[in-house]
Amino acid sequence: MNVVLDRTRIPVRREIFALLACLTCSLAFAAPYELPPIGGSEPAEHHPGKIVWADLATPDLAAAERFYAQLFGWTYQTIHAGNTDYAVALLDGRPVAGLLQKPLPPGERRQPAWLTFIAVRDVDAARRIALGHGAKSVSEPKTYTGRGRQAVLADPEGAVMAMLASSSGDPPDFLAAPGEWIWSSLLARDPAREATFYKAIFGYDVFDLPRDDEAVHVILSTDDYARASVNSLPSSGHRRAHWLNFIRVMNAAESSAKAVSLGGRVLVEPHEDRHGGNIAVIADPAGAPIGLMEWSDTDTKVEPK
Amino acid sequence: MSIQSASWRRGLGASTLLLIMSACVGVGYGGSVGYVGGVYEPSGYDYGGWGGAYRVGPPRGGPRGGGEGRHAPSIPSTPRGGGGHGGHTR
Repeated sequence: MNVVLDRTRIPVRREIFALLACLTCSLAFAAPYELPPIGGSEPAEHHPGKIVWADLATPDLAAAERFYAQLFGWTYQTIHAGNTDYAVALLDGRPVAGLLQKPLPPGERRQPAWLTFIAVRDVDAARRIALGHGAKSVSEPKTYTGRGRQAVLADPEGAVMAMLASSSGDPPDFLAAPGEWIWSSLLARDPAREATFYKAIFGYDVFDLPRDDEAVHVILSTDDYARASVNSLPSSGHRRAHWLNFIRVMNAAESSAKAVSLGGRVLVEPHEDRHGGNIAVIADPAGAPIGLMEWSDTDTKVEPK
Repeated sequence: MSIQSASWRRGLGASTLLLIMSACVGVGYGGSVGYVGGVYEPSGYDYGGWGGAYRVGPPRGGPRGGGEGRHAPSIPSTPRGGGGHGGHTR
């Protein structure tokens, strides 16, 4: 009899151990986390239509952190968001971007990319309008403590963007410091149609810029500030509609060269843009495109070309 | 069937149930176990290709207001800590 009891006790202990291990894992995954607020003003301001945030999905978070830290001077606050590592990039203590560790989907031709977040008052209402105008849902609306409610969609041409109702309000309208986002650009096959789509959702004023080439350039504005441009994709090559965000730099050529020395590559060589400063487009070591833009008070003050 | 294997089956069943329950708790928080803000985009596409005509930036801006011949506004020009909001780059 004693022998039988001994044989059952051991498995019972194993059961308890397995249950405790399982409980520990489940608590780790389900542990609540809080994202830093992006607002930064008191009382909170709201600027619907403003580009207020950007997230990078990357398969090598540590490598991405190193690259952007050395290029833009970012530091990081790492958050274990459930089963995901999420690094909030800081500039002078202010949250400027998010870097998300995410494995590349096996068997699919995908690349890392920065996701553009556009401010809204009501994500669910804005999403309904977008879906009614031809957008497709990429991820359902979700609420994150500290951040607010957000959803990811693909516009009618397939360019992926997110909308965010920040619970702390939107960042105030200041000139971006070097290392901060200064501009966003949508490249599309039909810029006029895309501008109409975004106007319906975000209430933009739309301005056509005079053109001296085949390309169409449209400015989207709210609060009397330019928020983004919509531009024709070149007709040649293998193209797809996409959003591209620009970081303010002091010298686009020097930053491009530094990006290459850090393992990145140049996609568009530095050249002068319509505001008189230089811009460039680079890719980080994992292939995510990002824009660089000079902007200084000493740039040539020219009217739009 | 031995007592030992029956116990392990019960243990496995309980663990599976607990995992499912924990997944439900995780999904219930913020709608996801983890943060889902980032996406991967299709690869193999070209960037640039316009040479010097690749001009996608904001204008310096002109007079504000609507109507015919209105100019597109520019980005904010007041630096942080520069005394209040506003100011348009001219």
